[in-house]
Amino acid sequence: MTVHNLYLFDRNGVCLHYSEWHRKKQAGIPKEEEYKLMYGMLFSIRSFVSKMSPLDMYAESEGKDGFLAFQTSRYKLHYYETPTGIKVVMNTDLGVGPIRDVLHHIYSALYVELVVKNPLCPLGQTVQSELFRSRLDSYVRSLPFFSARAG
Amino acid sequence: MADEALFLLLHNEMVSGVYKSAEQGEVENGRCITKLENMGFRVGQGLIERFTKDTARFKDELDIMKFICKDFWTTVFKKQIDNLRTNHQGIYVLQDNKFRLLTQMSAGKQYLEHASKYLAFTCGLIRGGLSNLGIKSIVTAEVSSMPACKLTSYFLTNVFSSYLSGLVVFVSCFCYLEDI
Repeated sequence: MTVHNLYLFDRNGVCLHYSEWHRKKQAGIPKEEEYKLMYGMLFSIRSFVSKMSPLDMYAESEGKDGFLAFQTSRYKLHYYETPTGIKVVMNTDLGVGPIRDVLHHIYSALYVELVVKNPLCPLGQTVQSELFRSRLDSYVRSLPFFSARAG
Repeated sequence: MADEALFLLLHNEMVSGVYKSAEQGEVENGRCITKLENMGFRVGQGLIERFTKDTARFKDELDIMKFICKDFWTTVFKKQIDNLRTNHQGIYVLQDNKFRLLTQMSAGKQYLEHASKYLAFTCGLIRGGLSNLGIKSIVTAEVSSMPACKLTSYFLTNVFSSYLSGLVVFVSCFCYLEDI
């Protein structure tokens, strides 16, 4: 059980942060293109999911979220989006269940506290704050489904 | 706590607003820091009136500084000053190991050169509070490692100390520029 990597996007598609822990295979394209590909794919999936849904999503009590995660035979991609358009995307392996609250914590306790409230971090650009990077790293490493050995 | 975030965000905007509207050359000679400090001065004067309206008269200067470290700091920043030192001759050093306006910025050396901008308002706050309690003073700040900071206040009690105050202002401007 492990976490492979994490992306943080803002509402304009700018990749605010990327970090990886266990990634055995690179995408083979430059990082900038990888971020654009990821963002574009998520945007398309989101609109696809809401259009093709056989049920009315907004009628359910806790519906309204739409796309939550997708999985392949090797990994699972978890997605969380805030009303302000910040998207948290985490790739983990298959043994991990829904981690919505984890992604929510990354947004509220880390991004909002350390980046939004930091006057020297301009919004809409890649996050330069060392504090954010180190706190995020130690938080992810402390998660119960993170193991130091790539599993 | 919503009110804490409000003050923090407003203060950050204030600092960047003062710097954005500064003319050429003003950033270098510390005028922006003086503007922020004067804003803090006026706010401190008002705050101290409000906070001390029900307390008893203060016995001496040390009592006043203890009030600033405990009640005043708790009401403004929701915590107390961690350490107060004095030489009993008018110099008081207040140390805050987790200064509320700096905790979000960094934990160490990153952004250190910008830290003094975010302390100017608080220096003025202390100076304004002391001035309305009858003490003329000069307050300076130094940050060696975020988010800990040291605020030093020099009480000006007689004619000779006006010379000292000129010297201190000169040195403190130097500190803001050189980040000693």
